[in-house]
Amino acid sequence: MSMVTNRRILTALIVALLLMPLLNSGCSNTKTPLPVIVAGSFMGPMEDLEARFEELHPDIDVQIEGHGSIQVIRQVTELEKEADVLIVADHSLIPMMMYNTTIAGSDEPYADWYLSFATNSLGLAYTNTSAYAGEINESNWYEILTKPDVAVGIADARIDSCGYRAFMTCQLAESCYDNASIFERLFGDSFTWPITVSVEDGIQTIHVPEILEPKGDKLALRGNSVWLLFLLDSGEIDYAFEYRSVAEQLGYSFLELPPEIDLSSENYSESYGSVRVKMDFQRFGSVQPEFTGEPIIYGVTIPNNAPHPNIAAEFVNFLISAQGQAILAEDDQPPISPARADNPDALPDELKELLQ
Amino acid sequence: MIKKTIKYLHQRRLTLTFLLIGLVLLLFIFIPLGKMIFSSSPSTLWNTLLDKEVRDSIWLSIYTALIATAFGLFFGVPLAYFLARHSFPGKRLVESLIDVPIVVPHIAAGIALLFVFGKSYLAGKAFDAIGIHFRDAVAGIVIAMIFVSVPFLINSAKQGFEEVDERLEKVARTLGASPWQTFFKISLPLARRSIFGGTVMMWARSISEFGAVLVLTSHPSIASILVYERLEAHGLEYALPVASVLIIITIVIFVALRYFTYRSKKQ
Repeated sequence: MSMVTNRRILTALIVALLLMPLLNSGCSNTKTPLPVIVAGSFMGPMEDLEARFEELHPDIDVQIEGHGSIQVIRQVTELEKEADVLIVADHSLIPMMMYNTTIAGSDEPYADWYLSFATNSLGLAYTNTSAYAGEINESNWYEILTKPDVAVGIADARIDSCGYRAFMTCQLAESCYDNASIFERLFGDSFTWPITVSVEDGIQTIHVPEILEPKGDKLALRGNSVWLLFLLDSGEIDYAFEYRSVAEQLGYSFLELPPEIDLSSENYSESYGSVRVKMDFQRFGSVQPEFTGEPIIYGVTIPNNAPHPNIAAEFVNFLISAQGQAILAEDDQPPISPARADNPDALPDELKELLQ
Repeated sequence: MIKKTIKYLHQRRLTLTFLLIGLVLLLFIFIPLGKMIFSSSPSTLWNTLLDKEVRDSIWLSIYTALIATAFGLFFGVPLAYFLARHSFPGKRLVESLIDVPIVVPHIAAGIALLFVFGKSYLAGKAFDAIGIHFRDAVAGIVIAMIFVSVPFLINSAKQGFEEVDERLEKVARTLGASPWQTFFKISLPLARRSIFGGTVMMWARSISEFGAVLVLTSHPSIASILVYERLEAHGLEYALPVASVLIIITIVIFVALRYFTYRSKKQ
């Protein structure tokens, strides 16, 4: 065989190799994609839901993308990504950010309903090498966190719902433990631009400055609570404010806090409501988010511009079915049973039936 | 006239073809950059530049990348020279390993560094003794930048040294120059263009680093992390101008560097 033929064969092989992925996607992959954007703290249950749902519907390929809850919605409303299902760790974000925002080039809002379908609780994730791991308990945790040799991680309240909820929990702790200095001792001196608390009509408002930057080594701040876990693993921090479902699924020790402050129970809705977190974004005019303390409730919606609304409805249907709820319970994400719609009239027909 | 033009074009058909092909790529690079820069009005850009947080973060990016590059030069150039002049069993493997940081997902690189330079680990403890910390500190930004970008400098410098004719070094030695003199007077100056190119690449790649730095040091925030934070906390409208300002500043620096290297080449 001549040199030239050899080279031709080689070229052909290379071209064939380059074309292979195209052939692959063209022939064998005829599944319908179902893009689902979920809160970072819901990634674990979501993967289990995906596996079961794809077993039931082999022709559907659920594609999961995880972000902080606020960013989950922005993916659709600002970055104009097309998603079939959105799941956030704070149900109030859906009406706040989607009901009054219209889809580009139309006058339809991005969403006009959501379902409350699961709860969670806030506590402290730690490992067996964390300082004072053997001593910490429900009644002394805030004392341990303020010890000079203990480093604590918290999610960025401006980005992750886990962050502003951690502030709420620590503020609620003051009346729960009858100790008015807890919040101040935990966070009073931890940030370059301080976080302040104002009280009016019995409502305590925590003001988060537009620049949130920790001062010194004692407090670590990350954009997403899940990233705190790397710091926990490497011993950089000893405790991280985290959702119970995340800590349990990923195998961390988890200190449960009393229901009066862990934002888990609807029985305490009223007292949770005495605490608010306000973002003081002076220069950033578009939103001045304000969050009122309330039980942690995960919300799900189908955007009005979803590419596959019917399959999306089928997935939501599965999520709130007995089967879906069993998966949630197994992943330490207590389901709300039955799921509640905030605007039942706007629900897709497929879901209306199920809720009745 | 027409005939002449056709003949001219015919003679230049290789040049013209390549120009057309190249143009596609140029547009691919320029259009997104241009769109990004012009997405914000000049007044927004100016206000962004007046924002102290933005200026601080861009300055932090620039100078941490400079420190990283200085470390890269100090440790990378000797290694590059060694690799260019010696062969030993396993050399190919070493050279491949040097490239690994380029392909490792950068968040994973950050985690890997955390498990060496974290306060509970060997290197972290050793540096702790002299008061250097890596989590949420400038030193953390620097090591993350070195890790992900030093391969560019090593590879470029190595190539530069390989292109220096070894006979020149031998002549210098026979004329009585010491090995150190030979390196500093012959090899280093002859390889300087490649080393300089690698240095610029390393510095540039350091400025753009995000993932590895994010894991080690979210605060103080370098520019790429500030862009991310603004995007997450305040939305696209507030993240884009920061990105645009960063792009404009790096374009200015790059054009200036090219200009000066072009001038030194001509001399």
